[in-house]
Amino acid sequence: MQVLKTKRGLLWAWLIAMVVGGILVWGTAHDAALYRDPIMQVTSVETGKATKETDDFHNIDSQTKQVLSGKILNGKYRGQRLTVNNVYSYSRAMDQKYHVGSQLFVVVHDRNGQHLTATAKDSKRDTTLVFMVWLVVALLLLIMQFSGFMAFLSVAANGVLFFLAIVLNGSTQGAQVLWIFGSLAVVFAALTLWLVIGANRQMVITLATTLGGTAFSIIVALLVFHMTHERGMYYESMQYVTQLPRPLFLAETLLGSLGAVMDESTDIISSLFALKRERPELSANQVFKSGRQIGSTIMGPLINVLFFIFVADTFPMAMLYLKNGNSWGYTFSMNMSMGVVQSLISGIGIVLAVPLASFLASRFMDKKKVTA
Amino acid sequence: MSTITVLGLVLLVLMVLVGGKAGAQSFLALILNFGLLYLAIVLVAFHFSPLIVTLVVGMLVLALTIFMSSGDDLSSTVAFIASAVVLVVLVLLIVPVENWALVQGFGPEDSEDLEGLSVLVGIKFVQVTTATAILSTLGAIAEAAMAISAGLSEILEQHPQVSTKALLGDGIAVGKQIIGTTFNTLFFGFFGGFLALFIWFTGVHYSFGEILNDKIFVSEILMILFAMVSVILTVPITTWVMTRAVAGQRKRAGKQGDN
Repeated sequence: MQVLKTKRGLLWAWLIAMVVGGILVWGTAHDAALYRDPIMQVTSVETGKATKETDDFHNIDSQTKQVLSGKILNGKYRGQRLTVNNVYSYSRAMDQKYHVGSQLFVVVHDRNGQHLTATAKDSKRDTTLVFMVWLVVALLLLIMQFSGFMAFLSVAANGVLFFLAIVLNGSTQGAQVLWIFGSLAVVFAALTLWLVIGANRQMVITLATTLGGTAFSIIVALLVFHMTHERGMYYESMQYVTQLPRPLFLAETLLGSLGAVMDESTDIISSLFALKRERPELSANQVFKSGRQIGSTIMGPLINVLFFIFVADTFPMAMLYLKNGNSWGYTFSMNMSMGVVQSLISGIGIVLAVPLASFLASRFMDKKKVTA
Repeated sequence: MSTITVLGLVLLVLMVLVGGKAGAQSFLALILNFGLLYLAIVLVAFHFSPLIVTLVVGMLVLALTIFMSSGDDLSSTVAFIASAVVLVVLVLLIVPVENWALVQGFGPEDSEDLEGLSVLVGIKFVQVTTATAILSTLGAIAEAAMAISAGLSEILEQHPQVSTKALLGDGIAVGKQIIGTTFNTLFFGFFGGFLALFIWFTGVHYSFGEILNDKIFVSEILMILFAMVSVILTVPITTWVMTRAVAGQRKRAGKQGDN
């Protein structure tokens, strides 16, 4: 890893990343052989006439039939030519329009080997995904160099942990979701801070703040839930839920706010450590005050980061609700209320972490604390 | 009282206790941002172009978030200009990638939620999904731009004569400090939101290949990656805008000195 800190090492690392990434992107466009499901590459398209459609809410749309001819790229039908009928709409919410060159997964219906027919299943998307990952890594290495590499490493390590936790959750049928992701949060925070700050006093204080702030916000949330009997919270509006929604919601909120609280406490505490190094004569109370000042300028933007992540995601569904004649209030309740609750709980954690970080840093950053 | 009202009041009280007037302002900005987001959805439902709505709303959100947080004039102005530039660059990236990825609208996992809803609403969902991706990165852009410009303006305060070239290096140095933790904010923020989806994938035993090509999965991962690109780009762009601003100021100061 030291080699990455030199200019030449870095240039090499960057070049290797570019070339390997480029090959990977190219490879995913030609990786059909790795898939079990048959993939067809479209060689010609015949497009029919669009027919106008109007639904019960006077939304006007159109549907167009297209006949796709192409060749199977993999599996036992490899090389066979096929035609597939496909219908796409103007809005294309649940369907796809394919072009010459598109690769798509198809389901082949084999009728005793006489005549092969197939239906389109879904588009192949791995090339786009790998391309974007490549772009992020290349930009990171180019602009942030070694720090970019470390940032990427910590995200990758957390990704692996996250995956393991999900598998563990699956093997316990989701009964322990809050415990699993609660303990995961501790491991996540410790690992990330160790990678970003290193193992020292500053890291311990930051870790304590992160865990404390996040835990406080969940406790406050549970108290409020209890007091208000969860009025206006629609667990049934949560998407993709396959297990008990309430603990899942809390686990989601816990994880969601963890990163932001960690971000904030790192900022505050590292600034305070730097301040104390420059002006060792500052008293604990003065350090606490500056911590509060730093914290109050960054807490607002941080809450906003999470708010947009949690709530912007509901855009397509909320719009669809409005187009289906639902009221503004109902659309909010059924799509955005849970995201707003999540943002508010995270916000509480972010705000609480400010005094906590300032307090812990001001009292415990001095190694040579006089205990007379 | 509903849970949202009480949680909101708790947040307001805490923000005022911790941040005083600045805290109250940030809370107000949060509420206005929610209003803007909802307005964007309503406008798109009324068939305004999703991209134009997103650009206008995006600029307003950035302005609100940046100017309503405390900070000196120079760093706020620089942060706003830089984040606006990043927003435009991001649109240029997101539009072609979303068109390429074909992840618009809803996936098979959404069928239960879509029951009884008509999806043929005559609005191009590619544009709606693009708008969603852009909006979800706004908070991150504003935050990163503010952090960099605040860091630089502090350096300027301590060393008013620092050369613009040195300032460029300082900006990247400040960026290196924040990038690790900012990435984690994004990672946890997004993954916290997708937890249910990932549990679904393992519960229904999707194969690796199926997940990698799944419409919803790809669309969500692309959102994280866009957010990361926006944060990375914010660092050099904010630094560059700051050096231009400082160079401009010095030029003006120099001219006044001559007179």
